[in-house]
Amino acid sequence: MNGARYLKHRRHLILLIIILLGANGAFSQTVNPLAADPRAARAGGGIFRAQCASCHGADAKGIDIIDAPDLTLIWTRVEATDQAVFQVIRSGIPGSIMPPHGFPDPEIWMLVSYLRSVAVTGTSKQIVGNSTRGSELFQGNCSLCHRVDGSGGSLGPDLTAITARRTQAALTDSIRNPSANIARRYKPVSLLTDANERVRGAIKSEDAFSIQVMDSNQVLRGFSKSALRELNRDEPSLMPAFSERQLSETDVNDILSFLQSVR
Amino acid sequence: MKQLLIRVLLISVSLVSWPTFIQAQDADGPTFEDILRGFEDPSRWLTYSGDYSGRRHSPLTQITTDNVDQLRPAWTFQTGTTTRGRGFETTPLLDDGVLYVTGSNNYAWAIDARSGRSFWQYRRNLPDDLTYGASAPVNRGFGMLGNQLFMVTLDAHLMSFDRRTGDVIWERELADYQVGYSSTMAPLVLDNKVIVGISGGEYQTRGFIDAFDPVLGERIWRFNTIPGPGETGSETWPDDPAILAGGGGGTWMNGSYDADLNLIYWGIGNPNPDYYDENRPGDNLYTDSIVALDANTGEMRWHYQFTPHDVNDWDSNHMPVLANIEWQGQPRRVVMVGNRNGFFYVLDRVTGEFLLGEPFTATTWAREIGADGRPIVVNDGSLGCLPDPWGSTNFYPPTFFPGLDLFILTARETCAIYVPEEPANTRGQANFGGTVFIDSEQGYGALRALDVHSGELEWEFTYPSPSFGGVMSTASGLVFAGDHEGNFMAFDAASGENLWHYQTGSRIWGAAAITYMLDGVQYVLIPSGTTLMAFAL
Repeated sequence: MNGARYLKHRRHLILLIIILLGANGAFSQTVNPLAADPRAARAGGGIFRAQCASCHGADAKGIDIIDAPDLTLIWTRVEATDQAVFQVIRSGIPGSIMPPHGFPDPEIWMLVSYLRSVAVTGTSKQIVGNSTRGSELFQGNCSLCHRVDGSGGSLGPDLTAITARRTQAALTDSIRNPSANIARRYKPVSLLTDANERVRGAIKSEDAFSIQVMDSNQVLRGFSKSALRELNRDEPSLMPAFSERQLSETDVNDILSFLQSVR
Repeated sequence: MKQLLIRVLLISVSLVSWPTFIQAQDADGPTFEDILRGFEDPSRWLTYSGDYSGRRHSPLTQITTDNVDQLRPAWTFQTGTTTRGRGFETTPLLDDGVLYVTGSNNYAWAIDARSGRSFWQYRRNLPDDLTYGASAPVNRGFGMLGNQLFMVTLDAHLMSFDRRTGDVIWERELADYQVGYSSTMAPLVLDNKVIVGISGGEYQTRGFIDAFDPVLGERIWRFNTIPGPGETGSETWPDDPAILAGGGGGTWMNGSYDADLNLIYWGIGNPNPDYYDENRPGDNLYTDSIVALDANTGEMRWHYQFTPHDVNDWDSNHMPVLANIEWQGQPRRVVMVGNRNGFFYVLDRVTGEFLLGEPFTATTWAREIGADGRPIVVNDGSLGCLPDPWGSTNFYPPTFFPGLDLFILTARETCAIYVPEEPANTRGQANFGGTVFIDSEQGYGALRALDVHSGELEWEFTYPSPSFGGVMSTASGLVFAGDHEGNFMAFDAASGENLWHYQTGSRIWGAAAITYMLDGVQYVLIPSGTTLMAFAL
């Protein structure tokens, strides 16, 4: 093929691609056409309970035993759009147990509406606080164990975008009373090794014979249960409870304002 | 000249390879009589449980309670196909040093039992609109007779293969997969029949057990697990042909066989819909039952229903375990079942007479099983949680240890609230009829040994989470089990003491071990995740 013919063919090819893309854009749905209809989420709930709940749980929060994920959290991901979720339901996830579904398009959009309706809402309104001061308070009180935007410790959960997943009241409660509700993989444990070393840490994994923890120095350590003198799980959270004297309401709001600013 | 050379070469090749071939493989393959002999030849494992009894109890004794701590990996076979959310549930068959193994997504292999290297591989081109088969893409093993292998498929077919090549000999449709049918069990092969069951109790399906001619591939008989209008048992359903036609009652686990009585024993699955029951008042026979069928005709001799009018998805697709034991001073031929509803049962397998039903978990569903064999239900779910839909145990095999008279099974302690809701009843779509809220904080698992005469717990070993691993025992006093955390373990059968464990790296789900002798070495095999692992001393 000579140069002129190549360029001519290339122009034709580009034109064809533009036409095809245009056609595709005209016919494929990129937004949920039922988003404004409150009946869609209700109908989607019925479909969800019949078709999806056996794996994802009746409350859409997932089932650990089969690694089915918590769907109430999917919208906290930047890449989660109505169309992306529609496509996952339609095509499934290759290589996983999530199958493709041949439901009519409106039913899939109803499922998308339902998943929107059960999404963890987090903190939607702007938290009133001084985020600059909150950043300093976070560095002084929290960052040893918690990570935000890639920096900080790992003993506690990563708090990047946490305000998108939890409400201001729930986050305040976790600061005041951290032992009340401890997330999986952060459950505390106290061990006494056969060398008489006392180890406190968070349980990452466990089977009948071994236990895997991150110790309070943020070092991952595995232990054989048969080599432990003590294994005590009845422990308060590794996170200290912050009273009003240690962190005032203003301090807490400043910290939460900072966390909201980096979501 | 060239042709002469080729001829000489071919003769040379055949002279060299022929004796090797004879040594490597019996040309005729196993007969029905060979399968009947069960464990007599320790270099064979010819049917799902090793013999027809469902006991999964091997007479091998090289690996003992004293040396099992020396057990080491011998080889590992990587399947290359995944089953996210479920497990590698197969039981390999073994003959003449070759393992015949089915995998998830209807893969299959012939594997050298000494080295773990494969001879051939098969993969079925499955349709992309699978129904039940898409959500549970598992398979539990081949059946074998002569040089033929038999495997069921996720699109509800029965296939026959030439075991020497993996080539397909014939294929028959069992049912329309687009309605919601699938098939996952290991065929039960008798003298002139291949007996298979069907999955699909969550869809608008009607369960059945089929017997096929192994050579011709023609169906000999069908037993429908939901009676037709006017048939015996239909009085336990509404007088509505449409409900009967979609009544559920899957048959997706293997059966056992008593050659003297010529009866097969098979567990039946849940009624459809699973949790919603307003359209199906009555006991809903023969769901959640065990049936004894005449192997020649498929006619039912007796049945026993474990969970009348089930609303908890407690399929009774368990391996029926046959044993001849002394029962209250008299010899008795019994069949034993550890059921999803949390009770352990002993029945007379000649008559179906109820002999024993005792709880083996903390189920609050029934106070007891009455003398008439019916459960005295005290909690329909309104008085607090019940065992979850996976049940107090599940399809994964238990073992029976003769002499100790222990029934050893993996138990699940769980807590679930059931909320029924009228389903849409759409063809080809799952039809649970409600939702279940499972309290994952409360669950745990345990390997439990029950005295078969009383149902009392003799010993247990607890696991951190509810487990799905099967169990096997050997005459040397060992029990092999797997758990959800991925440990493959050996226990002292008499005391329950853990003697050995190996972390396989993936949960052991649905599978139980097999064991065999080759070249004077006892191997123990377990499927886990995407691998088949062999252990030896």
